[in-house]
Amino acid sequence: MSDVQEFQTRPTDTSKAESPLEWSLHEQKSLPHASNPGVTLSEKPFLGQLIVRGGAIVLDEAVREVMDMALPAKPHALVSDDSGERSIQWLSPDEWLVIVPGGEEFELEQKLRKSLGQSHFSIVNVSGGQTVLSLKGNRAREVLMKSISYDVHPQAFPVGKGVSTVFAKATIILRRPEENGWELVIRRSFADYCYRWLLDASREYGVSVVR
Amino acid sequence: MTQTNRLSAGGRIDRSHGLEFTFNGQRYQGFAGDTLASALLANGVDIINRSFKYSRARGIVAAGAEEPNAVVQLGAREETQVPNVRATQQGLYDGLVARSTNGWPNVQRDVMSWVGKLGGNFMPPGFYYKTFMSPASMWMTYEKYIRMGAGLGRAPTVADPDIYDHMHHHCDVMVIGAGAAGLAAALSAARSGARVILCDEQEEMGGSLLDSRDTLDGVSAVRWIEQTLNELASMETVTLLPRTTANGYHDHNFVTLHERRTEHLADTASDAGFPDMPRARLHRVRATRVVLATGTHERPLVYANNDLPGNMVAGAVSTYIRRYGVIPGNSLVLTTSNDHAYRAALDWQEAGRKVVAIVDARANPDGDLVRQACDSGIRVITGSAVIEAKGTQRVSGARVSAVDLDHFVITGRIEDLECDTIASSGGYSPVVHLSSHTGTRPQWDENLLGFVPGEVKGMLMAGGVAGHYGLDNTLSDGARAGRQAAIDSGFDEAGELNLPTVKARRDGPACAIYQVPHEKKGLRVPKQFVDMQNDVTASAIELATREGFESIEHVKRYTALGFGTDQGKLGNINGMAIAARCLGRSIPEVGTTVFRPNYTPITFGAIVGRHCDELFDPKRYTALHQWHVEYGAEFEDVGQWKRPWYFPRNANGKKESMHDAVARECLAVRQGVGILDASTLGKIDIQGPDAREFLGRVYTNKWAKLAPGRVRYGLMCKDDGMLMDDGTTSCLGDNHFLMTTTTGGAASVLEWLEVWHQTEWPELQVYFNSVTDHWATMTVTGPEARKLMSEVTDIDLDREQFKFMDWKEGNVAGVPARVFRISFTGELAYEINVQANYAMQVWKTLFEHGEKYDLTPYGTETMHVLRAEKGLIIVGQDTDGSVTPEDLGMHWAIGYDKPFHWIGKRALSRPDTMRGDRKQLVGLKPKDANVVLEEGAQIVLDPNQAIPMSMVGHVTSSYYSPVLESGFALAVLKEGRERMGQTVYLPMSDGKTHEAEVVSTVFIDPKGERQNV
Repeated sequence: MSDVQEFQTRPTDTSKAESPLEWSLHEQKSLPHASNPGVTLSEKPFLGQLIVRGGAIVLDEAVREVMDMALPAKPHALVSDDSGERSIQWLSPDEWLVIVPGGEEFELEQKLRKSLGQSHFSIVNVSGGQTVLSLKGNRAREVLMKSISYDVHPQAFPVGKGVSTVFAKATIILRRPEENGWELVIRRSFADYCYRWLLDASREYGVSVVR
Repeated sequence: MTQTNRLSAGGRIDRSHGLEFTFNGQRYQGFAGDTLASALLANGVDIINRSFKYSRARGIVAAGAEEPNAVVQLGAREETQVPNVRATQQGLYDGLVARSTNGWPNVQRDVMSWVGKLGGNFMPPGFYYKTFMSPASMWMTYEKYIRMGAGLGRAPTVADPDIYDHMHHHCDVMVIGAGAAGLAAALSAARSGARVILCDEQEEMGGSLLDSRDTLDGVSAVRWIEQTLNELASMETVTLLPRTTANGYHDHNFVTLHERRTEHLADTASDAGFPDMPRARLHRVRATRVVLATGTHERPLVYANNDLPGNMVAGAVSTYIRRYGVIPGNSLVLTTSNDHAYRAALDWQEAGRKVVAIVDARANPDGDLVRQACDSGIRVITGSAVIEAKGTQRVSGARVSAVDLDHFVITGRIEDLECDTIASSGGYSPVVHLSSHTGTRPQWDENLLGFVPGEVKGMLMAGGVAGHYGLDNTLSDGARAGRQAAIDSGFDEAGELNLPTVKARRDGPACAIYQVPHEKKGLRVPKQFVDMQNDVTASAIELATREGFESIEHVKRYTALGFGTDQGKLGNINGMAIAARCLGRSIPEVGTTVFRPNYTPITFGAIVGRHCDELFDPKRYTALHQWHVEYGAEFEDVGQWKRPWYFPRNANGKKESMHDAVARECLAVRQGVGILDASTLGKIDIQGPDAREFLGRVYTNKWAKLAPGRVRYGLMCKDDGMLMDDGTTSCLGDNHFLMTTTTGGAASVLEWLEVWHQTEWPELQVYFNSVTDHWATMTVTGPEARKLMSEVTDIDLDREQFKFMDWKEGNVAGVPARVFRISFTGELAYEINVQANYAMQVWKTLFEHGEKYDLTPYGTETMHVLRAEKGLIIVGQDTDGSVTPEDLGMHWAIGYDKPFHWIGKRALSRPDTMRGDRKQLVGLKPKDANVVLEEGAQIVLDPNQAIPMSMVGHVTSSYYSPVLESGFALAVLKEGRERMGQTVYLPMSDGKTHEAEVVSTVFIDPKGERQNV
């Protein structure tokens, strides 16, 4: 779709960038470090994140061409490339979240726009608005059960699934890219709340935060 | 004090692990595995409490959740006080401290009991309502003293040191109750592969099997429990929750469970050695199927003085003997209507103490246990019942008589038996409470002489609660229910469970007896208690029916039967039976009252979970928050956001006042340059060929001709024509717009757009996405703004090239930015939008360059003053959902001639929205420049009018303006625009009346020249 302003929001020098969790981590004198943590938390900051909306068929053709990946058409599906660094997640019948290494997002947006041509779609860069938290450890699922009413049992939430759901009193995207790890895509302004909640819920299991 | 009632052997307690505890200031010993109740009984403590209304001495009656009397106050310290704890449910731990909740000055010598004794007959139901009726204003005074006498436990007065949390579960089969039926159900469901949760409210799982005389496959029932629990625990799909009470059964198989995690270990989790563990946990379970295996409660018989310490339900006697090795007395009389209760006498005798007699209401009892009792040489008195307990502080004897239940009279001679304990059993009531929570009514079963649960979609019943008595029946019924629940949840049949064989016991039929007749009649009968917790007697129910209360729901409310934390566990069926007899109806005709959640009291902490203190509500922060904190900002809550309110400076160790800080910040913007963090404004990215058309339909003004590079202010109405939100929207490309909303309206406006798109205009090709968090927004404003900006950006700032209401892209401080020339201050302003991760470096660079211009950060308070001086509204402050754009004088922003019928247009042509005397937005200038009117103050035209005065409007925004050197306000005023120059009055609550002149809403720079410098 033409007549849309493409805008590279990333400066050439990104050395002074601050991730959404910068303030929360700065606030803590020292990061939690349990000797035998049941839960390990870490931020994956500065990733490229695009919300892509449109019809599944045209978008599928475009991401196959540009990303060499198939669009997950099944509700709640999450697919990653072989490296695990690029993923596409179904969010709603006409909405997907694409996450790529930081810096790739603008070129990807341009390529997708070119490939999609005159179709009706939208691509919105949200890289500054959300961040990814990784939650690992053998008690991670219990921490999620304290926080989320959605069913996170492996029978109901296999690897390759992702949902938008309520997390305590915030909204997040929860996804399970691998057997022993969960990812929470959290909004920038709610990042501190989600982080504090996770630390609190993890406390009884022993928690380490890795930067 | 020694444990006089502790048996030398037996029970499931750990005699090698002694514990010390304190009750009412006295120290006692018990063992690990005791409950507080069993330990008190072991120590021969008879009086646990005073009753609620009559202050009668009360002891332990039951052994589980149904206990009505032994409700204690727990906690060694002020911060660990817990009211409403049933001693029968409280695991004993070392150092436990408990008190009676009733009784002043103490339970042994209670002042109020004299009121009960002397005035007992004068305290019928409704006593308080009838006696303390007038004057009504005195009730609060009466109540204070009545409450002191009554006492219901108390909440701690300091913060709870423990934490509580929630956990969400989903399962195929939720089994409630881990007795024989529940264990069999869980095992049979789990073996099919279903996800199973099994909860049980007691300290250990097993239910009545823990004190059963039966053997399973020839070995003790306890062995079978262990085997079954081991198998369940080894399954990944099974969750076992002991010490967990199912307290609420809600719609669609949503069950709330209350797990006591450290309450059985110590006063606090820290004391127990688990400082990070929640003391209690509320589990929220969604189950495909619920198997109710809650068993039964034994009904006590209603005879005179049946509340004296020493009166117990028969099953509890067996439980204390067999499970805790405690015998609650020396000599027992058992009064019963059924065979099963004979266990109590047999257990008592086997424990080596004296059974005086079994008094059986049936003429010819004949079952295996009856034979066993007779063979053991126990005297069985048939066709009779205990009609009255004797004693003052404890049972000293039982009066026994033959009874004619059909005519409700005693027949023959009354025999006095000496004993210190009376065990009674009037049969068994299935525990229907949870099923009733869903709204279903229990059904009377004439064969069982009890109510069984009504039908609940998705619920199965197993064992005693379904009326299947006898261990063999219970086990097989549990296995059946578990299997069926798994099949219903979509699992294949796992095959029959290999159930242990149980020697079937032959029980004779029970008889129906609830209230026992007495030789005296009516109010002359010594009190026969139905509901001990609420002090409801049989005669009170009789009186209620005589006074015309015929519905059981009315009887309940008049007498308090089954109220509060008791929820009618022991008393309800007896009460209904008495009401039925008095009304000449059958029990099913009278019906039951509704049992409500929670089944047992639950601490508020568990309800709140972790949603308290700093986690009570999300605090949302902008990307610049750390700078604001370091700069000493005071913060204001705007929705969930923390926004800088003002930035007080410190001079000579003294913090600037808010008034001074705001005045300084205002002047800085009007005379130099200020900067605001405006990141919280909602931002919505809109793309699609129909984006422009869509905007025209949701905004009141026109969007057809807004060119790329331009910005427009828009008003959004609801379909009732009332202003809902406002903000600027920029045209980024012909098919691409960036909408801003108010901070509070961000989420609801996005939702509003989606709703209209998805439901009304799905044919429009347009997509919306929130980008509020993606962009950080900094407003640089003031006469010096251009100079400052020119130092940090490559954008051409020439006033002809970059005009008011233009936007441009470029770099600011080396970061790609969109800069918007829009103004909420009336001054020259640049709103810089950068990707939020890079916002801090831009902000800091602006300050590096801003030093020479004395760049002043300002907060929301200054923003409010500046915008109000310009008459710019804030939706939600100057509007309240009843204000139209016309009322605000914004007809310039309404496109009545747009081709499509935009939202709100039709409502704006209604007579009410068009009438001339609506409240309109005006400015107010107080006659006294020092006066800052109160926001919300009402406006009147005649200050001398008598109250109630005719109010014609109110103040919506009011501040002190350092530029005007005067207070000023915005207000809505009837026919306000017609009243320019008039004087209006604002009477205040302190008696003062302020005068103000009605003026234009624009106080500064009416021509708007300053923003175009």
